[in-house]
Amino acid sequence: MLLAFADAVIEGAPELDRARDAVVDCLGEAAMVDAAAVIAGFDAITRVADGSGIPLEPEKAAATAGWRSHLGIDDFWARKV
Amino acid sequence: MRQELHNELTVAWQGLGATGEWWTGSERTAIALEARAARACALCRARKAALLPRMLDGQHASLTDLPPPALEAVHRIVSDPGRLSEAWFRDVVESGLSEEAYVELLSVVAIATAVDTFDRGRGSAPRPLPGARSGTPTRRRPRGAKPGLGWMPMLAPEDVGAEDPPLYASAGRIGGNVHRALSLVPRAMMQFWDLFETMYLPQAAMRDFAREYRAVEHAQIEMLAARVAVLNQCVY
Repeated sequence: MLLAFADAVIEGAPELDRARDAVVDCLGEAAMVDAAAVIAGFDAITRVADGSGIPLEPEKAAATAGWRSHLGIDDFWARKV
Repeated sequence: MRQELHNELTVAWQGLGATGEWWTGSERTAIALEARAARACALCRARKAALLPRMLDGQHASLTDLPPPALEAVHRIVSDPGRLSEAWFRDVVESGLSEEAYVELLSVVAIATAVDTFDRGRGSAPRPLPGARSGTPTRRRPRGAKPGLGWMPMLAPEDVGAEDPPLYASAGRIGGNVHRALSLVPRAMMQFWDLFETMYLPQAAMRDFAREYRAVEHAQIEMLAARVAVLNQCVY
């Protein structure tokens, strides 16, 4: 339900009202507001990261090497054009 | 809504109309308006769907008189952030937008995006743009900024001078790469991070799993963050 809310907010989907109501019904109004704040904050900070060319810190890269390889995330860099 | 969130949203939004380091207040509000326009731009939509964004030429659907490299920067940062590249950034700079002006523009776009996305999420209408205040940008670049980490020079915590604002120390920021991303324009960095930490979590709360700081739990927060990063194709 939170993921559906995130998807609808980012995509501006017609389902947004229903997704928002589902979060309010399940977790309450305050949780919906804080969830919207997290979604909005990361909608922005992803642009800061991708718009500045910063690399992943070496210690984070080392700590996540296994699962990044397993999920194929490293291949995403090759698609940057 | 938490009072601190309400307050910080107001401060950040009104701050878009204040004189910046590299842009005037009216130029900053124009950047925010352009960030909204980009969501309905036909060229941006076509480029987003294209195999290679640079395959398509054309004009952005603009609502302002911002110069072309600024228009291109705002529209691409809004519409297709996951495929921005250093080559694209170099093109923008060589077209006449300075590195410092680009960084402040990035901060303004990020703040406008954060506030507009939040309002959309909670079911509120978009806010009226803030009034632009008069003033002349200082055009001050931090002396300690050095190239090498990202596409533009950045100011590391150990290189912050006495003449610089306390961009890391003021909020206990550790100086991770994402903290440094906007540091070429310290005040622009602080304006964004003051808002972001209120929406997400401040540094000290991120790994304090003994306490919940929001009405959603740490695990729910991180799940939402990861989902948005995927939707925006953010590799960092």
